[in-house]
Formats: sequence, structure tokens, C-alpha cells
Amino acid sequence: MKMKKWKSKIRKIGKPTDENENKQESASQASTNQFTDDFTLNLEVVRKELGHNWDVHFRDFIIGRTGIEACIVFVEGLSDKDLIDKHIMTSLMADFSAEYQQEEPYVKESLSNQFIKNQVLSISDVEEVHSIKELASKVLTGSTALLIDGLSHAFILGTTKLKTRTIEEPVSEALVRGPRVGFTESLSDNTSLLRGSGDIENLSLVKFQVGKRSKKDLVVAYINEIVDPELVKEVEKRIKKIDLDNVPESGYVEQLIEDNYLSPFPQVQNTERPDRVIAALMEGRVAILLDGTPFALIAPVTFSMMLQSPEDYYERWIPGTFIRFLRYIAVVLSLFTPAVYIAFISFHPGLIPTKLAISIIGTRSGVPFPALIEALFMEVAIEILREAGLRLPKPIGPAMGIVGGLIIGEAAVQAGIVSPILVIVVALTAISSFAIPQYSVGITLRILRFVAMLCAAILGLYGVVLFFLFMMSHLVKLKSFGVPYMSPAVPYRLSEWKDLMVRMPLMMMKRRPKMMHTKDPLRKG
Amino acid sequence: MKGSEPLEMINSKDRITTPQTTIVVTNFILGTGILTLPRAAAEKVKTPDIWLTVILGGIIAMIAGVIMVKLSQQFPERTFYQYSQEIVGKWMGKLFSFLMIGYFLTLGGFHARSLAEVTGYLLLEGTPKWAIIMPFMWASLYLIRGGINPIARIFEIIFPITVILFLLVAFMSIKIFEVDNLRPVLGSGITPVLKGIKTTALAFTGPEIMLLILAFMKEPNKAGKAVLVGITIPLFIYVITVVMVIGALSVDGVVTRTWPTLDLIRSFELTGLIFERFDSLLLVVWIMQMFTSFTINHYAASLGLSQLFQKDIHPFMYGLLPIFYLISMIPKNINDVFKLGDMVGNVALVLFGFLPLLLLIISKIKGRKYETNL
Repeated sequence: MKMKKWKSKIRKIGKPTDENENKQESASQASTNQFTDDFTLNLEVVRKELGHNWDVHFRDFIIGRTGIEACIVFVEGLSDKDLIDKHIMTSLMADFSAEYQQEEPYVKESLSNQFIKNQVLSISDVEEVHSIKELASKVLTGSTALLIDGLSHAFILGTTKLKTRTIEEPVSEALVRGPRVGFTESLSDNTSLLRGSGDIENLSLVKFQVGKRSKKDLVVAYINEIVDPELVKEVEKRIKKIDLDNVPESGYVEQLIEDNYLSPFPQVQNTERPDRVIAALMEGRVAILLDGTPFALIAPVTFSMMLQSPEDYYERWIPGTFIRFLRYIAVVLSLFTPAVYIAFISFHPGLIPTKLAISIIGTRSGVPFPALIEALFMEVAIEILREAGLRLPKPIGPAMGIVGGLIIGEAAVQAGIVSPILVIVVALTAISSFAIPQYSVGITLRILRFVAMLCAAILGLYGVVLFFLFMMSHLVKLKSFGVPYMSPAVPYRLSEWKDLMVRMPLMMMKRRPKMMHTKDPLRKG
Repeated sequence: MKGSEPLEMINSKDRITTPQTTIVVTNFILGTGILTLPRAAAEKVKTPDIWLTVILGGIIAMIAGVIMVKLSQQFPERTFYQYSQEIVGKWMGKLFSFLMIGYFLTLGGFHARSLAEVTGYLLLEGTPKWAIIMPFMWASLYLIRGGINPIARIFEIIFPITVILFLLVAFMSIKIFEVDNLRPVLGSGITPVLKGIKTTALAFTGPEIMLLILAFMKEPNKAGKAVLVGITIPLFIYVITVVMVIGALSVDGVVTRTWPTLDLIRSFELTGLIFERFDSLLLVVWIMQMFTSFTINHYAASLGLSQLFQKDIHPFMYGLLPIFYLISMIPKNINDVFKLGDMVGNVALVLFGFLPLLLLIISKIKGRKYETNL
């Protein structure tokens, strides 16, 4: 044994200048190349590749009383230190099998690869890598590399431990009734939420990688027995086309795979709710989950889906239907109320009931601005308040909204800048746009409301009708992954109107939506 | 947006269903007629039996519609522009096609002008006509760029809104409805009823679109049903309109008014509801109906040119806008507008009343010859 150690010292110290030069040369070559038999050289190369990082740790040690050198490389914080201590270090140093104690270092394959893998390392995820690049990418995502003298490859041990938060109720989609479970930032947690919600046969979770520099996992989920294979192909084709350095959030994916980037309407639905994703999969849709964000994407979508909430189905059908009706009314109100106000006040006061007209004109008598300026002033104010309320710390936000809204409204009326009727109109539109379950659609309606107001200011009621016709023309032309955005409303599919503006009893909804071209059209059996 | 596939090729995706065909026909028929039919018919008939005339006019339109469907069914997947040359030869066929394009252009101009007249009269006094017509045409252009399918779909959205609001407004006016105004039934015999048939039949111009859209139907064998239902719906709406207007304003009252239907709606107020007057609702519906009629004209004319010249349809869609605008500006005043309407109607009578029958007979004879030659 002493002899061997001495030899090793010679190897290390002897002919230092030559050796170092050689090493550096070969190191630069080897960085892209394979591992060699030479342990010190290998280690040198790894240090060169990763050693400059503050968080990469190298731990040299001798394998249990054999004198064979080894080294583990891991990233502080990403790897599970408990696991490394208990199952790697302990088994290699303390509990190392006595049979192999007489093994000689520096001899090729002195320690059997199979022996280490099958009898020493008590860890579930072990693989072998042969190149430095592979090793570096694995180590930097949390695995631990184990290099042993005499082996011409490195073991990669699955010790990744990401810091995840606990599963919480989704903030953006609160429900009164329904599971209090939301996705988290961890992809594996999210897929496990999907798998865990009932034993779904044929749930496929296909992995892709997006991002050229920061590689992220992306999972396309669908139910094999239901989904239209053409749809899956199309989704996968669009995902493969994503060519970006970094994809930080599923919003990036959404914008890169949508059909029409000029449309104000969202063509992919985002959700934090696993139950919503499952329901969509059951209808033959495809979900896209990205690592690092709790927002999953659902495609294709239709306009009616944007006005539906999972709660519609959890409640009994009568309240469900009623609430849906309310939402459609809310959409109309939030889009058109200020526009209709402007049209009637500035163009056709004769078309409103005489008494109402007199009272409105009476309250407006002191207002020095045209109706458009008046309405724009209040609408912009309320939009800013809402935006400010979002950014403020949680306890202050709502207070700010209420106080700001009340005070500004009251003061504006007192100052004679706006009429009290307009304050009612603005409040009504603001509340209506909150009643829409999808935040992204709410924003769309807020933007379009301003367009409608401008149309009304230019051409009165006629302008509002033209705006409606333009918007509808756009909507009937729009498609999401080949599915018409306005289906099933148009073209008429009476059988599917059971789940459009009304929500018929569950036992009446036996078929999946036809527009999805599902393999299995029936929900039952 | 990939909305630019050439449309002259009728691909399998660009098809419309039977209900969609029905609604296209219905929407194309409903137009200026709702507002003017009671006056136009009352001028000719002069007795309260106008509603009978309207029904007879509708039946004539149905017969013409069925003839046109039969003609088109002889040439599956092809429009009138394409098959007319086969029946009567290249030059005659082209002539007929150009006549038809001219008809759609004039009718579109008429629709745009009526819209400008009514809107300028009731909603936007003092607004120049170009400011009313131009954005309307842009909306139409934006829609028809998507092809026949979006057109049919938007009609499906507008149709229920029309029916609901129209019925609502119509039955609100029951308050000032006097049954006596409709009596006596056939007091002066059947002759006055027959006098007005031409006028009322012209209110049903619209089934001619079947000569073109039958080629886009998924199930062309159901076209007959589609056109019959498509005429029945406006028939009901017209009868309700005429009965309500005559019942409220009486025959003598109707003759003197330019837009009797609008005057009816304006003449009553209901207290206790949010709206006391409903002309704004009727106008909203009517503007949408004019939009549907205009888009069909616009599309039919563009389709004709693109098929005759075998070029992409989109340049024609843009290029026709100024022509529609110029035509709509030809009439000097409201009376000229109605004269233009009458003229278009007379052309329609020849072009779609007699011509399709003639072509059908020729094609049958030719078809038989072809069979015997085999």
C-alpha cells in the first residue's frame, strides 16, 4: 500500500512542469472529449469546467480503507445534502465492503463498475456519463457526480432537490366551491397533480425542451383515447418551432403558438387549476405545462370557454345556468355601457325616455366637457386605480381601490367635472369586468371598451353598431388551433348549446364537443 | 393570420351548412323592405288587404327560388358565373354574368344609400353621407376577406338578435293597434290585391343568391328546403310588419310617410320600462340587416369578377368599394333612391324571374340531347 501511495505521489509531483503543460493541453482537448483513465486528469478537467462557480463543491476522499481516490461534485443548494451524506459518503467511506479493501488504486477497472453501482450506492437514480459536457449539465441541475480513480466514466447520482412551495389555493381563480388546489412552480408537482386526480387511463405527458440557453422542460398533456391526433401534431409542431434563449413563463409559449398575434382576444387559455385542466383534457383538448410557472395552458379554446368557470359544473345546474347568464350580461355591460352613454348623451338625447333625458341633462348642465372626455376621464381613472391596487401590498390594495374610487368619484361630481350618472356607468362597467372569470379576457374587454367609446364619440349609436359588427367579423374569422373561436354558438350546433349560455343537467351532456373531433364522442361508457 | 387562401377554388373546408344557407337567404331578403314595404304596397293596393299581397308575393318568390335551386343543382359545385357559359355559350354566359354582377353592384349601392339616408335622418343629422357609408363598407370588406364561412357565421349571430328585437318592438306597438284599420277583408274584391303583387314580390329579392351559394353547400340536395324556409321567415316578418303598421297607422296614414315602420315605432311610448321608445332598437337591428345585405352583394360581385377573370378574389373586393360608393351617390334625393330601388327590382324580375326558368329549360333539353347522344 505504501508503495502505491508513493507511486501516486510521483505521478502527482514528479516532472511537474512537463506534466502540467501536458495536462493543460490535454485538458483543453478533453473538455469536449470523453473521460480518460487518468483520474487526476479527469478531475482537473472537471475543475476547469465547473470549478470557477462559487456554488459548485468538490469533495475529495478515499474509498473506505482501500486507498482509492474518489471525488464527488455537487451544487450547493440544488442537491440534497442529507442524501449525499447518508447514501453516498457513508456507503463509500464507512460501510465499504471489506472484500474490496485490498483493491489496488490506479489499475484500470480496479473497482468493478457493477459492484459500485449495484452494491454500494443505495440511491435510486444512477447513470453513467462519459463526457465532461454531460457531467456539467447534470451537475448544474442538481445531480451529484462521482468520479473514482480507475474508472473511465463518472456516475451521476440523482440528488436533485428543488425548493418548492406547498400547494395552495390558486389566487387568480378563486372559487367558492371546488378543490382548493393550484399548480405550483414545480413541473413534477404539477404533473403529479394531474396524475393524482383520479386514475386517468391513457393520460399522456410528453416532454419537450424549450429555450436554447436556459433549457426548460415543457410537458404536453392529453388523453390518448380522446384527443384528435391531428391536434396533438399541430400543438407539438408549434412548440418545436419555439426558438428563444429563455422561456421564463407559459405566457411566452402562449404568444408563440397562438394563431393570430394581432387579435385582442386570447386564443389559448391559462389556468392555475388542475381540475380545469382535467376537464379540458376530458373534452379532447391539450394542456401545456411549463417548468417554473403555475400557469398551465389549454388549447384550443372558444370564446364561450372564457366565460365559464369550473364552478358552473360543481353547483347544481339551475344556479350554474343563472350565473352564466349573468356573465354574458356582464360582458355586454362592460363592453358597451360607456359607449352607449356617450352615444345617447352627445348624439341622440331624443332616443332616451324624456324624464331620464331631462334628469341626465340637468345633472350634466355644469359639466364643461363633452361626454367622451368626461367618460374617458373617469374610465382612465378607474383603470389606473385598478392597476395601482394590483401593485400595492395585499392589505392596502382593496382599500386603495375603494377609497380612491369613492373619493375620486365623489369629488369629481362635486367639482362638476363629471355627472353622477356617469359615475354609476363607470362603476357598473368596472364591476361587470370583474365578473368575468378569466383575467385575460377581462383585459381584452377593457381595451375594447375604449375602442367602443371612441366609435360612439365619432358616429353615435351607428358607431357602436359598426364597432359590434367589426368585432363580430373578427371573432367569426378567428380560429384557435383550427377550431372556430365562436363555436359552438355559430355555426349552429343545437346539441352543444346545452353547455353554452345555459348549463343543462349533467346527465343531458352525454357527448363531448363535436368541434374537437374526438376519437370517443361519448362521455359515458 | 392565414386568411388569404384563394377563394375562387371552392375547397372542402369552405362549405356552409343547410341552416346557414337558410339564414343567408333570409338576411339577404330582409333589408330596406322592413321599413318601406308597407308604404310601397299601400300605394299600389290602396285597401287594407296588403298582407294578402305580401303572402302572394312571398309565394311567387318561393317559386322563383325553387327554379333557381333546380337550375343550380344541375351543376354541382359550380356557381352561376361558371355554368351559365356552358348553357348558352361563352359570350351570352359572360353577358348574363356581367348583368348579374351589375345587379349586385347596384343593389349594394342602393343598400348603402338607404342606410345613409335612414341613419342621416334619424341618428346622425348633418353627418356627411361618406362618413356613414365608408366605415360601413370597410366593415364589409374586413368580413368578406374571410370567405363565405365567416359571412354565414356572422349572419347566424345577427339573425337571432334581429328576430328577438324585431318581435319585441312589433308587439310593443300592439298598444296602438286598431283591428278596424285592417277591415274590411277583400272589401273591394281580389283585383287590388293582385295589383300590388309585383311590388311585394320585389321585397323578396334575395333568393337569387342561391345561384351562387348552392355551390358552397355541404348538402346541395337540401337547397330547396333551405330556400323555402329562407323565404318563409322574412314572409312572417313582413306580414307582421304590414299588419302592425297598417293596423296602427291605417292605409291612408301609411301612404304619406317615407319610413312608415319607423314612424310607427316612434309614435308610441311605453312608460315604466327603461326605454320608452324603441326606434333605437329597431334601428340597431335594421343597420345590422343592411350590413348583411350589403356584404352579400359585395361578396357576390367580387366572386363573379374573380371567377370570370379567374383571378384572386381579394383585389376585386378592394376594387369594388369605390364602385359601390359611386353607385350609392348617384341618386340626388330620397325619391331618386326609391326610383333606383324600383329599377333594381325590375331588373331582378327579368334576371331572376324569367332567365333562370329559360336556362333551366335549355339545360334540360341540352342534357337530354347529351343523354341521347350517349
